[in-house]
Amino acid sequence: MIRELAFIDVLYLIAAMRWTLALTAIAFAGGTIVGLSVALLRVSPMAPLRWAAMVYVHAVQGTPLLAWLFVFFFGLSIVGITVSPWIAAAAAYSIYAGAFLGEIWRGCLQSIPRTQWEAGASLGLSFTEQLRHVIIPQAVRVAIPPTVGFLVQLIKNTSLAAVIGFVELTREGQLTTATTFRPFSVYLIVAALYFALCFPLTRWSRRLEGRLHVAR
Amino acid sequence: MSLVDLRDVVKRYGPLTVLDGVSLSVDKGEIIAIIGRSGSGKSTLLRCVNGLEPIQGGAVTFAGTVVNDPGTDLRKLRQQVGIVFQSFNLFPHLSVERNITLAPTVVKGMDRQAARELARAVLRKVGLEEKIDAYPDRLSGGQQQRVAIARSLAMSPQLMLFDEITSALDPELVGEVLKVLEEMARDGMTMMLVTHEMGFARKVASRVVFMHQGKVWEQGPAAETLAKPRTAELETFLSAVLH
Repeated sequence: MIRELAFIDVLYLIAAMRWTLALTAIAFAGGTIVGLSVALLRVSPMAPLRWAAMVYVHAVQGTPLLAWLFVFFFGLSIVGITVSPWIAAAAAYSIYAGAFLGEIWRGCLQSIPRTQWEAGASLGLSFTEQLRHVIIPQAVRVAIPPTVGFLVQLIKNTSLAAVIGFVELTREGQLTTATTFRPFSVYLIVAALYFALCFPLTRWSRRLEGRLHVAR
Repeated sequence: MSLVDLRDVVKRYGPLTVLDGVSLSVDKGEIIAIIGRSGSGKSTLLRCVNGLEPIQGGAVTFAGTVVNDPGTDLRKLRQQVGIVFQSFNLFPHLSVERNITLAPTVVKGMDRQAARELARAVLRKVGLEEKIDAYPDRLSGGQQQRVAIARSLAMSPQLMLFDEITSALDPELVGEVLKVLEEMARDGMTMMLVTHEMGFARKVASRVVFMHQGKVWEQGPAAETLAKPRTAELETFLSAVLH
């Protein structure tokens, strides 16, 4: 039955943002763990480790996130393993975010000149000490803008989790449209709510950049 | 026994042979100036001594340790061999103090208070004690290079390598850096320096080594070798740099 778009619908949409936020948090946390490992493997002195990480990055970047969600949720249940949507989403998003963050952070690590590694090595620092005290502190400054950029993408990509049953912001918008038949207003509200999440992040990234003086 | 001993060292980058059977020994307390055209292998030679460049043939020995042996602990070796680079290579995210104390605290486990005292002491040697809390980007090129020297000295090395350390400096800043080197020479530090400063080489070095086409072409006491070159190549080189 079609009814009017009411204020209560807006509240429902706002409430649905909690799933968007929860999915983003899980994806970013999982992606950070995977991404850090990938980035470190990619600069490792051992070639087979670098190759393994590279194959992983290419495989994930070349496949849709949607496919990974399907594999973990529907695919595993076909072979008899039932997973909760949370587990499936956490796995798929960690794999996806890990590949992209890993590649971003590898670039940041490699943007630090070779000579900084050499200076550390010639003072007797080990590979991990060079990373920890010389390379990573400088790479973090470079990493902030692209990392926040990816995080903003991630917030919007959590809408894909609707296919495995999450009623997050975009899905809630679809449901509201179905009952009110006011797609234009509903999706404008949805877009405004995404903007309210993403815009402060971008602003905060700018401030952080200034504070760590990236441009030094 | 010599402190540094290179025997028939060969270094290739792909098809390019940079060091073509270099042999050279350096005794404790010697100051060796390595001169030659760019591309003659001077810097590569220096970088082989502390294992920054792997070699394809021959042997590099420092104080009885074979540097190019895969089993050698390069970290231990590098605590005894300091190197200063043309481009300073200070850590831009760390203060002068932390630049100097990083290796002593992390590698040698010195506590922060003692390390700060050490930083003061080595900065005094290069005349920059008042800059202890500054960041590298607030310093002139000459000051940055003196901090880089202090950073190496803080590890109390037995040998110091200098890779064209004045080449990136404005002419008026070269003097302050060379003065620090002269003082280190007076203190008896063993040094190998790649340099284009012929006046400095003549004045401070005990021996001059002329590199040409990846080989030690000619070597001998500094003043004599620079005044009376025995090979035509050194003569040509000297007349090119001195005019």
